[in-house]
Amino acid sequence: MDAFNNLMYGFGIALEPINIAYVFAGVFAGTIIGMLPGLGPISALALMIPITFAMEPSSGLILMAGVYYGAIFGGSTSSILLNAPGVAGTVATSFDGYPMAKKGQAGKALAIAAYASFIGGTISVIFLMLIAPLLSKVAVSFGPSEYFALMVLGLTAVVSLSDKSLVKGLIAAVVGVIISIIGIDMQTGTERFTFGSVQLLDGIDFLVVALGIFALAEVFYMLLRGGGGKEAPRNEIGSLKLTRSEVKEIAGPIGRSSVLGFFTGVLPGAGATIGSFLGYSMEKRIAKDGDTFGTGNIKGVAAPEAANNAACTGSFVPLLTLGVPGSGTTAVLLGALLVMGVNPGPMMLVERPDVFWGVVASMYIGNIFLLALNLPLIPYIAKILDMPRPLLLSLILIFCMIGVYGMSFSVFDLLLLLGFGLVGLGMRLFGFPAAPLILALILGNIMEESMRRALQISGGDWMTFIDKPIALGLLVVALLSLTLPLFKKRRKKAAPNVAN
Amino acid sequence: MTSLTLKRLSVFALPLAAFAGMTTAVQAQEWTPERSIEFVAPANPGGGWDTLVRTMSRVIQQEELADESFAAINVPGGGGAVAWAQVARDNGNPHKLFATSPPMILVPLAGASRYDHTDFTPVARINTDYSIILVAADSEYQNLEDLLDALKADPSLSVGGGSAPGSMDHIAIAGLASAAGMDASAVNYIPFSGGGDAMTNLMGGHIEAVVGGAGEAVGQLGEGSQLRALGVSSEERLGGGLREVPTYQEQGFDYTFDIWRGVMGAPDMPEEAVAYYEDLFSAMLETDAWREASDQLGWIDAYQNSEEFSAFLDQQQEQFSDVLSELGLLRQ
Repeated sequence: MDAFNNLMYGFGIALEPINIAYVFAGVFAGTIIGMLPGLGPISALALMIPITFAMEPSSGLILMAGVYYGAIFGGSTSSILLNAPGVAGTVATSFDGYPMAKKGQAGKALAIAAYASFIGGTISVIFLMLIAPLLSKVAVSFGPSEYFALMVLGLTAVVSLSDKSLVKGLIAAVVGVIISIIGIDMQTGTERFTFGSVQLLDGIDFLVVALGIFALAEVFYMLLRGGGGKEAPRNEIGSLKLTRSEVKEIAGPIGRSSVLGFFTGVLPGAGATIGSFLGYSMEKRIAKDGDTFGTGNIKGVAAPEAANNAACTGSFVPLLTLGVPGSGTTAVLLGALLVMGVNPGPMMLVERPDVFWGVVASMYIGNIFLLALNLPLIPYIAKILDMPRPLLLSLILIFCMIGVYGMSFSVFDLLLLLGFGLVGLGMRLFGFPAAPLILALILGNIMEESMRRALQISGGDWMTFIDKPIALGLLVVALLSLTLPLFKKRRKKAAPNVAN
Repeated sequence: MTSLTLKRLSVFALPLAAFAGMTTAVQAQEWTPERSIEFVAPANPGGGWDTLVRTMSRVIQQEELADESFAAINVPGGGGAVAWAQVARDNGNPHKLFATSPPMILVPLAGASRYDHTDFTPVARINTDYSIILVAADSEYQNLEDLLDALKADPSLSVGGGSAPGSMDHIAIAGLASAAGMDASAVNYIPFSGGGDAMTNLMGGHIEAVVGGAGEAVGQLGEGSQLRALGVSSEERLGGGLREVPTYQEQGFDYTFDIWRGVMGAPDMPEEAVAYYEDLFSAMLETDAWREASDQLGWIDAYQNSEEFSAFLDQQQEQFSDVLSELGLLRQ
């Protein structure tokens, strides 16, 4: 009942006309930013700090939060239409979203992404409202040992992401880990695989690799195979409507992934990317038609989209209740709040309830705005696919290059993009799956750093991964998820008739 | 194309020459920028350098202190090295500035940049932050001595920080350990991916203590907090939320550490331009808008002109290379 009163108080703030305008402006700007790769929410929010400086803190945070979750909401668009994930959290969406678009179901894929994002966002706001203060304990209970175990669990998804050949999937994953190692080693300050190049000191940005081996490789592949615009079948957009059985089918994945996404979001540093990958691979494993994931299964779009939006809201828990940022984006938000004279932290609920409850309430409104804004736009945005293929391919090319250049203003990164495009093409031609490489690239670095940090704290004692109940639990789950499919297979072999 | 323009220009050159001579004479005393100034933050948006660049640009514009605008530009990479390599090529350009702080000294010492502070023109030191040591609120350590004694007795106790070994936070704690008569390299320093990450781990009880920036930590202290500060690295106590926190010196450890921030320019920047910026920045520090922004960001003004700043940088380099060599991280 208390939460209800507080929420009403929050709505009192969020429903002030000026704040409604801010929510709308925020989610609208966010959607556009999310659709363009390269201009991520981090740089957009940093540029906004001077604007919010003079604002009422609750209004400022309402606006900036809107941009953040709006960008995650809109980020799925380029993943689905162009196979070009603009933010890390939407990579998993492209696994089934892009195949759906190729099959002429772009409209449906975008609609599912919008519904899943909306529900994921809303469920997680309810969690944020009810249990945020309790969750701050969960957030701090994750030390280096626990993170290592979580990353191991995340990496087991490689098995479900390498559809045809497990060996090729594992090779791709190892390459991903190697790429993640490039740059200055956090633990010792040693340069690794930089070959003396200043540009490689900070490592290779995930976006360069993702756009290269997904989007650019796709362009090359089409060029190689199609030979230009002759046969060029124009892509259908298809209907946006979902049948009743489709709704039923995605309800479960959306619900489960929303909860999963929220809790990964709460952990500082884990966030939307891991949430969406875990959601995707979990659904692939439990689905009866799991083997059609990757070829345009609607559940494969719904799960990661629900998870990444839920994780985005979850990342507000450590920010608002502890005053520590869980991601790069929330770090910028923290800076903005400090400039506005608000100290996020345990006392914020007491000192500035207007900011906390105002933002929570505005998230409900923002999610409704996003759904209302995105659904009618889908037919227009999806028209992109209706272009003649030569134009579409050059558009993807330009899109990727602007995205990468806009992020670092570095020509070197453009060359890397091209290089990874060729690597991606080679992988496609020889049947190596790209998803394990990307997953390993994202997780590899955090996994290595947490493992070494944990060992440095424990004085080199490996028991640190087993002594801690959370770490042990996660490792056991990881082990189970690796071994259970073997048993399943054996059972299938033993009784093929029953299984079919 | 160029030669054509030059030819055309030469038509005007003669009559202009006399006039030009006159203007240079005037400019020697009073240089003003002819176009907007590129103000580089050698990092991504959101960090310390970026905040300094954007806050300064905003205040200068808001208070109409300069005729030309300051354009904030982010050049991330290599902990600053990418931007430094870029600026170093812009010899003599009076319209290019960049934000700087201890990494300007530390990164080159660690061997990760071809250019060091002597390759650029120091313009002014602007302000400073200090290092702070935090423990969990319910920790048994009541003061700095308790913590340092415990570290002496058990070198495996971990102290977290928000940056890589050999960078600011590590130097700050290693220098303190050294001043307390310990071996600097005996501190089990655990690098986290940021100050926030380190503090979360402290709250969760995964590490014993955290060393970080005072400005960053102030929001975590006070009533209801899960953290407690044992000391700050300033010479005198700080104000605001940190006035209860004793300095290291007060507790008998003769050691101070500045996280200074300043502005540098392209190599061989003309003296007149340096003088112009010195005046501009010292005027900026006097404004209310700057006062307000500094208070909110926990910055403390610590202005030095170009000459003083230059000497200060040399002295910092000496001090840091001592600590780094004790840590075995000196690569130059």
